[in-house]
Amino acid sequence: MDTTVPQRFVVPIGPQHPALKEPGHFEFTVDGEQVTGASVRLGYAHRGIEKATEGRNWVQNLYLLERICGICSHVHATAYCLGVEKLAGVTPPPRAQAIRVLVAELERIHSHLLWLGVAAHEAGFDTLFMYSWRDRETVMDILEALTGNRVNYSANLLGGVKFDLTSELTDKIYKGLELLEERTYQYVDVVTSDATLLQRTRGVGVTTREQAEQLGLVGPTARASGVERDIRVEAPYAAYPDFPVKVVTATAGDLEARFVVRLQELFEAYRLIRAVLEKLPPGELQARMPRKIKPAETVSRVEAPRGELFYFIKSNGTDQPERIKVRTPTLCNLASVCVLAVGSQLADVPMILAGVDPCFSCNDRMVTVYSGDTDHTQWTWKQLRQYGIDYYRR
Amino acid sequence: MNAIQDLLTLMFFPGGLFVLALGMSYEWIDRKLMARVQNRVGPRWFQPYADIAKLLVKEEVIPADSNRLLFIALPILALAGALTAALYVPLAGFDPLYSFKGDLIVTLYLLSLLTVCTGLAGANTTDRFSLVGATRTLTQLFSYEAPFLLAMLGPAVAARSWQINEIIADADGQWLLIVQPVGFVVALIGLLGKLEIAPFNAPEAETEIVAGALTEYSGRGLALFRLGRHVELVVGLTMVAAFYMGGVSGLPLFVLKTLLLLLILVGIQSLVARLRIDQTVGLWWRWGTLLVLAQWLALVIWEGVQA
Amino acid sequence: MKRHTLLQYAARSLFRRAATQRYPAERTPTPERLRGTLHWTPDGCTGCCLCSKECPANAIEIITIDKTTKQFVARYHADRCIYCGQCVVNCRFSCLTMSPEEWENAALHKQAFTVYYGDAPHVERVLEGFVSQDSASNPST
Ligand code: SF4
Ligand code: SF4
Repeated sequence: MDTTVPQRFVVPIGPQHPALKEPGHFEFTVDGEQVTGASVRLGYAHRGIEKATEGRNWVQNLYLLERICGICSHVHATAYCLGVEKLAGVTPPPRAQAIRVLVAELERIHSHLLWLGVAAHEAGFDTLFMYSWRDRETVMDILEALTGNRVNYSANLLGGVKFDLTSELTDKIYKGLELLEERTYQYVDVVTSDATLLQRTRGVGVTTREQAEQLGLVGPTARASGVERDIRVEAPYAAYPDFPVKVVTATAGDLEARFVVRLQELFEAYRLIRAVLEKLPPGELQARMPRKIKPAETVSRVEAPRGELFYFIKSNGTDQPERIKVRTPTLCNLASVCVLAVGSQLADVPMILAGVDPCFSCNDRMVTVYSGDTDHTQWTWKQLRQYGIDYYRR
Repeated sequence: MNAIQDLLTLMFFPGGLFVLALGMSYEWIDRKLMARVQNRVGPRWFQPYADIAKLLVKEEVIPADSNRLLFIALPILALAGALTAALYVPLAGFDPLYSFKGDLIVTLYLLSLLTVCTGLAGANTTDRFSLVGATRTLTQLFSYEAPFLLAMLGPAVAARSWQINEIIADADGQWLLIVQPVGFVVALIGLLGKLEIAPFNAPEAETEIVAGALTEYSGRGLALFRLGRHVELVVGLTMVAAFYMGGVSGLPLFVLKTLLLLLILVGIQSLVARLRIDQTVGLWWRWGTLLVLAQWLALVIWEGVQA
Repeated sequence: MKRHTLLQYAARSLFRRAATQRYPAERTPTPERLRGTLHWTPDGCTGCCLCSKECPANAIEIITIDKTTKQFVARYHADRCIYCGQCVVNCRFSCLTMSPEEWENAALHKQAFTVYYGDAPHVERVLEGFVSQDSASNPST
């Protein structure tokens, strides 16, 4: 070993690592405990969903796209529905739009509580993790009672929604919200005052406003740096024009600010849900949708719990789409991890990573770079399998 | 005849197996209490036994690029150290099995053996998580060891003896934590560091470095390390209870006092986030050591005035 | 509304009932909208195949026994079904329902996941292979 050349000590995080709930691969070059370099590699959970949509009809795609993400499944379905409805020139009834907002906000609560638990666990604060996940059950139960499933609610239909509210359900939601609100006060209290947690969050992974804008951050991650970016406000969709949202921002840009912004958004979600329940417009649940859609293209944007979710949809006159392109918020936020990690402590890296609330498999995509000299023959399954066997036998 | 009796004492009661069983029971209580605090059901009483049994029957994988001998010997050494330490403390309210002048120092060193072995075990492999974990383990060792030692020596100075028996006898049932509160707190928190439990679990922070120094251990080696940890938990609790809480003569008193301590440990453990290794070191050197030294100074002066 | 610090709350938790359950022994009742195993009744089914045409998972097939007398058998693949409920919405004759009780659907062998619904003699005929197995709407099966 040549000792004159400084050794690069690389700590890999992923593709299999306890800090990551999904496969992603990060490599951090460390000097002692200090991180001096970072790189990210995606694509371990690429599923080819965009391509798969081209072989299914509009209705089937709704359920396929809903399964892009298990945590924010409803927003995917909503973004798709809104886009397809725009293409077909169908206006869903107002009651359906309001119920979409209701489910979306319930989902936001569940997603943020889930994140709180994950982030607390990364910080080694397991009690907070257990409590927040226990309380998340409340909203999961509400969603289950409302839509019949705990994840992938499939509340949406093209042109409307499947499920209506009953008075028992309304009561259940009110009751659940009351409990959650009380608990959220405690969480805010803990994340802003617990000395050990603050040691891990205050001033860690600071993203300035300029950086946030440069890196193109979205969602709560951007809002924690003072960037007022929220599709629900900028381009209100579904029933959001009738139920305006107050954007929650913070200025510090550190992990504590991200905790606080997400928790304050919970209060905003509680308020919105109550408003929707009080002023639920009467009427139909679904408008008629044509089976085939004339050639056209559109984009559809919604605010997922993690930030802006973007759909591009192109129809070709048949009952199947020509092309669907999805960009999930994690893709926008992930690059910031590499920037923020450099210069920080290794111990803070999982926290910084968790701070953007990454969701890997929904953002994984495959990029093929064609350069002149590489030969890009297709491998058969057999060759691929043999390659795998040889690789690991080594 | 005597030799056989000695052997029995060492192997079964109150040494050896009894210590192991006690260690696992305390481990279970720790986990159960933790679960209850977190509003969970928690494991059933035999869970630690089941864990160890499972690990013991599993195949042990020895990494190709580590020293085989060390890899196998280190866990044994660690457990042996912890078990030997148990012989010199008034475990379960019995008188220490063996006692000699200066056994306090020996016991404290034996207790550190586990940590040193863990660190070496990590350094013995080329796994990057193990190496980072080993560095952290040893860094942490250097930070809490001195204050912990000083905190344990506080009662010794008061009793003017290095013999565990005599120190306890000298305290004569008085709760030393009233006169030496700093020592008590530092000893208790030092115990957290020794056992690598929150907030001092940076050396095995699973979200950063998987299992830290022991990442490469599976099967038997891991079981032995964990057993060592369990034993150390009881020994540590016993020592703190004996020194600072007026002795542990008799089983009921022992159980009561150690459980009280365990409850405090669980409380701390469940209400804090993990400290970063630099924060741990800073905390110990900036606060722990200084406070203990201050108390020491006061103690020495007091003793000097009395003499 | 009483607010507690985490310490107070944790101390109280020690004496509270655990939030988790010992599952097979204790269980929470399922909400009535829960989407469990799909059920089909032949009464009223017109064989329009709207259910199978838009099933995203090709999990339901309507097999024609006799078109004129409207006799059908439904083959349901529980292992493919993603429990989305689209078929239930699509059926205008309320032939399809999803049971909120049947959600523990694990089985030791694959056969358990292919379920036939319909009149017993019809199902038997399908099983014996007297009826052409492919339904018009489902070329993939
Ligand atoms: S529930 Fe969905 S996946 Fe299952 S059979 Fe019906 S349409 Fe198909
Ligand atoms: S949609 Fe209803 S009526 Fe039509 S084939 Fe399916 S079950 Fe029968």
